[in-house]
Amino acid sequence: MTIRPLIEIEGLRVSFQGDDGRTTHAVDSVDLSVANGATLGLVGESGCGKSVTSLAIMGLLPKQSATVSGTIRFDGFDLLQVPDETLRDLRGNRLAMIFQEPMTSLNPSFTIGDQIIETILRHRGGSRRQARDRAIELLRRVHIPSPDKRIDEFPHKLSGGMRQRVMIAMALACDPQLLIADEPTTALDVTLQAQILDLMRELKAASGAAIILITHDLGVVAEVCDEVAVMYAGEIVERAPVDELFANPQHPYTVGLLGSIPRLDRRTSHLATIEGMVPNMANPPAGCRFAARCPFVAGDCAKAAPPLAMLSATHASRCIRAPLERLVS
Amino acid sequence: MSATLIDVKNLRRVFDVSKPWLNRMLEGGHLEYLKAVDGVTFDIKRGETFALVGESGSGKTTVARMVVGLLPPTSGEVVIDGVSMTDPRQAQARRRLRRRIQMIFQDPYASLNPRFRVDAIVAEPIRAFDLILGERDIKARVGELLSLVGLHPDDGLKFPHEFSGGQRQRIAIARALASEAEFIVCDEPTSALDVSVQAQILNLMRDLQDKFGLTYLFISHNLAVVRHMASRIGVMYLGRIVEIAEGRKLFENPRMPYTKMLLGAVPDLAMSGRQRIPVKGEIPNPINPPPGCSFNPRCPLAFDLCRQKAPDLIEGVACHAVNDPAAAVPA
Repeated sequence: MTIRPLIEIEGLRVSFQGDDGRTTHAVDSVDLSVANGATLGLVGESGCGKSVTSLAIMGLLPKQSATVSGTIRFDGFDLLQVPDETLRDLRGNRLAMIFQEPMTSLNPSFTIGDQIIETILRHRGGSRRQARDRAIELLRRVHIPSPDKRIDEFPHKLSGGMRQRVMIAMALACDPQLLIADEPTTALDVTLQAQILDLMRELKAASGAAIILITHDLGVVAEVCDEVAVMYAGEIVERAPVDELFANPQHPYTVGLLGSIPRLDRRTSHLATIEGMVPNMANPPAGCRFAARCPFVAGDCAKAAPPLAMLSATHASRCIRAPLERLVS
Repeated sequence: MSATLIDVKNLRRVFDVSKPWLNRMLEGGHLEYLKAVDGVTFDIKRGETFALVGESGSGKTTVARMVVGLLPPTSGEVVIDGVSMTDPRQAQARRRLRRRIQMIFQDPYASLNPRFRVDAIVAEPIRAFDLILGERDIKARVGELLSLVGLHPDDGLKFPHEFSGGQRQRIAIARALASEAEFIVCDEPTSALDVSVQAQILNLMRDLQDKFGLTYLFISHNLAVVRHMASRIGVMYLGRIVEIAEGRKLFENPRMPYTKMLLGAVPDLAMSGRQRIPVKGEIPNPINPPPGCSFNPRCPLAFDLCRQKAPDLIEGVACHAVNDPAAAVPA
């Protein structure tokens, strides 16, 4: 018996219409699935489409300028087809999101308690009294000291790490089945990052929610994810279990990305670099989008867009030259 | 010519963060001071990269600004190649020294004037110090500098907004080299960049160092970047240097409990499953730091003395428990 994944994304495409009439293809034919209780890392550099993917799942892209197609199946619903009313019931309830900037994602004119209670009342109903007790309990779960006092404070009184804890408490308010965390620790110092990652691991173990973690930091992925999808120029270029990806990367972009990170455990005179620049997404190249920067490029690479091909039962790479090890020997 | 190029002695900087006078009179409250930098001492040898690492608010940028002279210190002294940056009697010598010091800033979107063409930005130090006279020669030199940092000489005709973050940082480096600087202060030069672009900039900075024998003061919060770049490292916590050591030693054998905690917090790319020291608590408010060693509320080794007296930096570590293990009785 195979376990049905909690969320299945097929052929997701997002393009934006600019004022000047140009169309930018931010996300192109993305296929993803996450099982209950699993953590998927979505990794890539600025502009690769990882945040747009997450906003598409949440239905938060602006309707006027973004064109979204494909299917996103979540527990029997197609999130791209359901009416707005249904989506509003799911969002914040069974689908929750943590944003990058804890400074700007909390409303400065309401206390943190009001903001958590609002979520609980909208989705669970009940009395304000009960919702308040639940909010205090949530703040305790994310290890905020003296939660019964902190609940009445305004966001500006809290430090960055504390605000991110409040964001997590709010996301967990209705025991979501899927939690999307978009760069949850990017704005924080390493020591705070370590605390927040510990917290996320702990909460995942307790609640069994599936997590999609979006980040540009492969170190964070190594710490918390089970599986990784690497994005480049709007496409998923490689997908594998986390140990497999780090030990045996099979897309030249992943290889370059791993080589360009300075490491604590070894010191080299030069870091590996990826030459050239990301292609312009208003007019992406016809063949492989990485071909112009790829050290392994061959004649066929620029001809047709390569498919995301399975190399083993769990490892997929969008490179016609994979497996790469036979090229270097 | 001595081996030491930069000598920083007991540098302090206090900021007045009190409410305005009238508010204090009407609403009460007293003067409040923030000790951003509290007695920092280090030296940098010619041709080496010295790094200051620490979390937000640890005072590393304030040190950098005082070293280049953008901010006057409250007390203490910065001596560069024998010339004091604060002594009024050495104003003449200091003016000659200025050319040899440059700075690269964190945000390449804010540090280049958007109304200047790139060639004007890079030529500015050359004109300011009258290094080259004659427009043709200046233009040739700017082209040379742009090629040196991996750009095309024709890029000089463009404006900064036409470049990506990594390219802008290259322009900032070209500008720093334009005055034939020997000492460059780099304040988080790559933290606004993606990792693959960061790798390009770090490689470029190293190549230029080898080529011109540059000396760097490198400020960063990223321990892995610091490990890659620096020969010696100072770890800062709440305005003080708590540990100072050669790069390899610091990473292989951190001694101060804060350094251990900081190193333990870095995500582990090798997934070695190493034992980490859990991070406890948060950085205290710098306006009202705890008495004694400012790390004592979070420190697993803290004992009575730590709560009474701030430790001195002895043999590279400012920690009572490390320097006087006999007195340390874990509570």
